[in-house]
Amino acid sequence: MHEWPLLLFTVCLSTCVGGFVFLGLTHKKLAEEADSFKVMKLPLIIFVALSMIGLIASFFHLGTPAHAFYLIRGFGRSWMSNEIVFSGLFILLVCVTAGLALFQKKTNLVLIATTSIVGLIAVYCMASIYTVTRINGWHSLNTYLVFYGTVFTLGPVLCASVIGLTYKDVVKKIIKMAFVLSVVGIAIQVLGTIIFSVTSFDIQLINGTSAVEILGSYNSMIIARWVLELAGLALLGVVAMDSMKKVNYSMIYLVLAAIIVGEAMNRYVFYILGS
Amino acid sequence: MGTQLGFYIDQSRCSGCKACVMACKDKNNLEGSRMYRHVTEFCGGSFAPSGNGYTQNVFAYWLSMSCNHCENPACVKNCPTGAMQKRSEDGVVYVDTELCAGCKYCLWNCPYGAPQYNEKEGKMSKCDFCIDLIAEGGDPACVAACPYDAIEYGPIDELREKYGKLADIKGLPSSTITKPDVIIKPHQGAQK
Repeated sequence: MHEWPLLLFTVCLSTCVGGFVFLGLTHKKLAEEADSFKVMKLPLIIFVALSMIGLIASFFHLGTPAHAFYLIRGFGRSWMSNEIVFSGLFILLVCVTAGLALFQKKTNLVLIATTSIVGLIAVYCMASIYTVTRINGWHSLNTYLVFYGTVFTLGPVLCASVIGLTYKDVVKKIIKMAFVLSVVGIAIQVLGTIIFSVTSFDIQLINGTSAVEILGSYNSMIIARWVLELAGLALLGVVAMDSMKKVNYSMIYLVLAAIIVGEAMNRYVFYILGS
Repeated sequence: MGTQLGFYIDQSRCSGCKACVMACKDKNNLEGSRMYRHVTEFCGGSFAPSGNGYTQNVFAYWLSMSCNHCENPACVKNCPTGAMQKRSEDGVVYVDTELCAGCKYCLWNCPYGAPQYNEKEGKMSKCDFCIDLIAEGGDPACVAACPYDAIEYGPIDELREKYGKLADIKGLPSSTITKPDVIIKPHQGAQK
């Protein structure tokens, strides 16, 4: 598998998008409980860093990085160009939102919401890049569900974990939202897997191999990935239960670690199909 | 559009000698595993006891394939930089290396494995129909090299009138995806 730059880029960006969606949805509750700027400051900085890591990683995918700016010439025609434009816009908005918040010492919900919407469009473009290719197994609704699954799983869990670092009382109120979004994220990936398993993919490459045949060698990784993520989700659910008077923070980071590893494994297997 | 060029491959005559591959590699100075034309072997069958002896259904045939300079080239449509282009005068699909960023997206879009990544340059490369040789009155390197005259080229409409329209054989993806400008006379057993 040679697509480590793309793995890093897509996972980092998807996580940032999910994080911003989470900040938008919990903004009101956070503002009720504390100064929303103080609570969101660290997550916003983390998302700027994560988007920069993703952006830098994407350059390593190119054979001629000096020609990187030509990649937007196909906007409207090529899904790769569309994705680069919207991802670029998203990263810019992440930086503007964080920068403005740090400067004004207050968060802007309109900016957060706009950034989230642009991010969600970028993720759609990201998935479309793969669905229109000849690679067996990528031309499926599952591809969209895999990418959006990362958005709604890793994003909220990371965001809640970061908030929990400094605002333990606030995180109690939002952990349920993180759990709900993670359930959505995992559920759509389960749906995607079901769709994938019942789809018969035409071989569209000369001497092509079927996805099912390729994935046969990665059964252990696929199983490990599901075990990790479902266990992480269950643990998050336990933490989110009302009966938990005090959130056990080591459990949140265990959930985060499990989800990170699970999502990375899933993306790795995804890119194996194209290698 | 001018006159679309295309290839006619007489698979029934092909012996898999790969003279076409080597001529192309030589003409284009291709190193290592980079090939603008490739020859694929299809083989199978086995021996089974029958009475005092054996019967067999063993087969082997080859397919020489390069870029098919398709009517609807997916590499051109999806290329983010616009480096992959289709010439209007003869329909030849080529890479403008002044624009190519080496993202390799065309590699994932081509059904025929035509785009080849040039590690040294960090850009894509592919069969360009030897348009430079044709301009000088010559033939593409593969056509000139084939000892069996199994590769022919010319305006695709003329080739289709002469040889039919078959572009779908075993081992090839459906021609409906990108509408390749290639006609194949299949080897026995290669028909779909």
